[in-house]
Amino acid sequence: MLNSATRLFWTLLLWACLHLQALAVQPGGPAPGFELPRLDNGETIRLSDFKGKVVYVDFWASWCGPCRQSLPLYEDLQKRLPVGQFQIIAINLDEDRKDAEAFLKRHPVSYLILSDPEGISASAWSVPAMPTSFLVDSSGKIANIYIGFEPSHIGTIEHDIKALLDSTAASHPD
Amino acid sequence: MTLKRCWTVLLLLTLIELSACAEVQPWERGRLAKPHMALDADPLLSSIDAHTYNSKEAASGGNGPAGGGCGCN
Repeated sequence: MLNSATRLFWTLLLWACLHLQALAVQPGGPAPGFELPRLDNGETIRLSDFKGKVVYVDFWASWCGPCRQSLPLYEDLQKRLPVGQFQIIAINLDEDRKDAEAFLKRHPVSYLILSDPEGISASAWSVPAMPTSFLVDSSGKIANIYIGFEPSHIGTIEHDIKALLDSTAASHPD
Repeated sequence: MTLKRCWTVLLLLTLIELSACAEVQPWERGRLAKPHMALDADPLLSSIDAHTYNSKEAASGGNGPAGGGCGCN
């Protein structure tokens, strides 16, 4: 029926499908990057624009309860940390950008909000749940992944960011 | 057609059918997260009902699965 070459092909195809998950984004690996418009003025922003900075990439949506809690807390976090070395980028995944705009009107933030209604970046970054955040080091590698959010997590996140900023400063003394 | 060939065709058809099983990604669950999509239309009333029921039955739990599948915490 099936010759050995065909059988091998199907086996390899099945194996490849099963192991696609292994290619998922993980700490220590390179951040996939993105090229997305800002929600407020449409200006295109790329992750590569922030090379040399520690970047906190957050995937959120206005319909997600924990995301709504996290955004104002990230605003405080951004204010506590040096802007020259650290940047928060929140990628909004609302299908209708008006939902995000309405939320941000009530809870304005100063850091970058990008719009990705198609979820292309979320797919590229293998976002497993809402919200998910990625701490990216100054060389563009993923230092940590935070799945879900509770207000009590902000202390751990801040600690990790400060540790990364310290190690960046130690490896690149001015 | 031999029986083995029939099984192969059936297997291939099944695999093709499986491609229609699309997984809803976490960021695609905005509509599911809307209040009118909740499995429980009035959580407060359900909670009161459950309290009465549990008191009468002298037992609690086993009322259903937790979460609505929004992918949130």
